[in-house]
Amino acid sequence: MTDLTLGFLSFPVLLFLIFLRAPIGLAMLLCGIGGLWLATDGTTVFMARLKSEVFSTFSSYNLSIIPMFLLMGQFATYSGMSRSLFKAAEAWLGHRKGGMAMASVGACAGFGAICGSSLATAATMSKVALPELRKYGYSGGFSTATLAAGGTLGILIPPSVILVIYAILTEQNIATLFAAAFIPGIMAALGYMATIAIYVRLYPDQAGTRPRIPYSARFKALGAVWPVLIVFGLVVGGIYQGWFTPTEGAAVGAMGTGLIAFFSGALTWQVFRQSITETATGTGMIFFIVLGAAFYNGFLALTQVPQELSSWVTAQGFSPWMVMVLILVFYLILGCLMDSLSMILLTVPIFWPVISGMDFGMTTEELAIWFGIMVLIVVEVGLITPPVGMNLFIINSMDKQTPMTATYRSVLFFVGSDVVRVFILLMFPAITLVFV
Amino acid sequence: MLHTAIQRLARLMALLGGVVLCLLVVMICISVSGRELSDLAHGGSLGGLGDWLLARGAGPIMGDFELVEAGMAFAIFAFLPLTQLSGSHATVDVFTQGLGPRVNAALGAFWTVVMAVVIVLITWRLFAGMQDKMRYNETSYLIQFPIWWAYAASFGAAVTASVVALYCAAMRLTGAREI
Repeated sequence: MTDLTLGFLSFPVLLFLIFLRAPIGLAMLLCGIGGLWLATDGTTVFMARLKSEVFSTFSSYNLSIIPMFLLMGQFATYSGMSRSLFKAAEAWLGHRKGGMAMASVGACAGFGAICGSSLATAATMSKVALPELRKYGYSGGFSTATLAAGGTLGILIPPSVILVIYAILTEQNIATLFAAAFIPGIMAALGYMATIAIYVRLYPDQAGTRPRIPYSARFKALGAVWPVLIVFGLVVGGIYQGWFTPTEGAAVGAMGTGLIAFFSGALTWQVFRQSITETATGTGMIFFIVLGAAFYNGFLALTQVPQELSSWVTAQGFSPWMVMVLILVFYLILGCLMDSLSMILLTVPIFWPVISGMDFGMTTEELAIWFGIMVLIVVEVGLITPPVGMNLFIINSMDKQTPMTATYRSVLFFVGSDVVRVFILLMFPAITLVFV
Repeated sequence: MLHTAIQRLARLMALLGGVVLCLLVVMICISVSGRELSDLAHGGSLGGLGDWLLARGAGPIMGDFELVEAGMAFAIFAFLPLTQLSGSHATVDVFTQGLGPRVNAALGAFWTVVMAVVIVLITWRLFAGMQDKMRYNETSYLIQFPIWWAYAASFGAAVTASVVALYCAAMRLTGAREI
């Protein structure tokens, strides 16, 4: 058996293991080790790699941004900022038709600016916003769907853990990717708000109303969110301006949200331990997948599968746009089954060479950034696609009275809004590349 | 009894790793402020204060990069026991949902055992890696601390990860606990 055949055979084996509920990182590690074993006819190569590569993966300076962003998000969760953000957004938008739902989306966008994870954003904002939405007569399904969709902004709006991983895999500048994600992130938030406006006009009985509040109170509520602006400006602005490396930016962010949590009085020893525990399990999970991916991708590179696949696709003379659309559809489907991070680690090393070998009329760097943002968006759509979107489960479990089917029905509108946005960004790459 | 001890061990390691992570965060913040301040002072925009700061040695912490790498490796190895014990590893369970509780329990036990084998293998190779670093006396680039120190710290954490993984596997196999 040639190495190439071995490489191609490893895909079905890997998928089989994953579908048999193997931890994803373990499955990749096993396939990587097994593949190296067969390809090099012996244990020498992988045993030697295990000696240094596990340590070097865990001690990678670039990857150390991940635990720091997770810690930043944990402190943000306990900082009380979710409440201030919701209060501010609600003061300005709450009186409109569907305004409380719009406010939830706005607050999610704000929280996404200091938290790099979708699930954490969705869960944290729901604790604050769900009871309020229900109080003002918003239907259960509509409320949970809004928050599940709003949660996806957590990862779209920088900082974003997934973008960090993508940047490392494709050797792109993290700062540029963060900058590129900004406008699509804002578009997503506005798109969701427009969706809400349409939704409440179609189903007026599913949303209540709330009286206007005076401007003095609005400005007062807005004033309470300044710490978020400072932390976001310092972290993302600082990385973009080159004041510090992305890892240093993440450390500054963790310090910033940590200080906010401390001064708000929320950071007791108990809460601190809780934050550490959550950061620990999140980091452990991510790094185990990263480790598995490192070994699996090392094996794939040895078998030359990515290059061969790339030249095969190019030789077939498919239109680049066709390939792009197919890949995005593939992500959309896979996104319903697998968590975003595993998916990116598993597929980008294979798909990126294919895409970068095609002519989209832009430079390789522009292409890498545009492709990254497109992938990020479709992967996030997977989080809210029925029946298995992960955000849907998390949020639905927080509202016991709402049946899952009600959430499914309402969330389809938000998925629709996502599809429209993917289409626009696909047609006009220039929107994503404004800051590049 | 044993379960409480293992739980304590996993939590303690996670907390230790977390404290190291927090220390790294603080160190980076100090280093970044030092660097920015000394840049400003060298630029002359701080006037006399700048000179005073430079005389006091304001600047980035030497070798912060290396300390982050060494500390982070320890922290992540220290996070593994709790990740394993709390069942936080990412899985796809859509396809096995319909297979019934007995098949699922068997699959769970199988993967826990494989995981334990792999973690023990990693720990053993880490030890071999550490011996290499000792043999060649490799030191870090700037502060010149022996690399094997970092390996040793990580190895300590990896040993606890092995203990916890073996415990999980034993509990699964005897059917005493579902972890």
